[in-house]
Amino acid sequence: MDLIIGGAYQGKRAYAKSHFSVREDDIFTCREDGKVDWSARCIAGLENLALWCVREGVDPVELFKKHESQWENSVLISEDIFCGVVPLGAENRAWREAAGRLCGYLSSRADSVTRMFCGLAQRLK
Amino acid sequence: MTVFISGGVKSGKSSLAQKIAVRLAGPGPKYYVATMIPYDEEDRARVRRHIADRAGLGFETLELGRGVERCLDLAAPGATFLVDSVTALLLNEMYPENPAGDADKNAARRSIDGLLKVAREAKNAVFVSDYIYSDAIRYDDFTENYRADLASIDRALAAACDTVLELCAGNIYVHKGEWEL
Repeated sequence: MDLIIGGAYQGKRAYAKSHFSVREDDIFTCREDGKVDWSARCIAGLENLALWCVREGVDPVELFKKHESQWENSVLISEDIFCGVVPLGAENRAWREAAGRLCGYLSSRADSVTRMFCGLAQRLK
Repeated sequence: MTVFISGGVKSGKSSLAQKIAVRLAGPGPKYYVATMIPYDEEDRARVRRHIADRAGLGFETLELGRGVERCLDLAAPGATFLVDSVTALLLNEMYPENPAGDADKNAARRSIDGLLKVAREAKNAVFVSDYIYSDAIRYDDFTENYRADLASIDRALAAACDTVLELCAGNIYVHKGEWEL
């Protein structure tokens, strides 16, 4: 599995396409509804899934562990929403921590971790 | 040489940019292209702080809240430019008439064209932007569009510049190219 993280609009999808031969059709983008196409070659918007998890009381790390065999060769994309100041509002704080924990777990399992900054790739792992 | 610098607030971007511009300029002319148009006392205090910061460094200040590429015509030949900041430039380009009107949808495109012209034609240019893309907040459409537009400018500059630096609490990460002080 290859993990791409970075801020909003930093070129994460473009990098998935240029570097991991992902096509637009291969990308499933998570919304805040808990739906995940685990068979997709590339799953994006993990931060949205994390927000759904917080609202539904689901542990995002456990959710991913349950489907491990399906994403272990995928490209996963998440916004690094966990770098800002501590947000006001309990839900936003829980969301930020859930997304941070999920990315930490996925990083530990990833073959490569790339962070995008202004369109430039920084290999973290 | 062209350098793009971004990072969080108060991470040391402006002062690093000044040092790099001074070094790149050597004995040549150097200009501080100030893009912020102060609207209130808080803004004016920030301007005074920045002016004090660069006092004695030998910059001539060009106040260009819009149409940043005009710095090329206003400067002496062989000049070095420090454009601070991309963030303020975009905001001003979005509101060409007054801050209460509707945002100009071509602001990002116009900003990119102007900044890339400076990057192409100046002997040296250093650009400062703000990294505002990594927090757990759902923004309103206005703010979200602004973030998307600023990111498009950042990516264009990062692609065009020789060196790209990220500042984090005064620490420098080199994303592209080389640099030295």
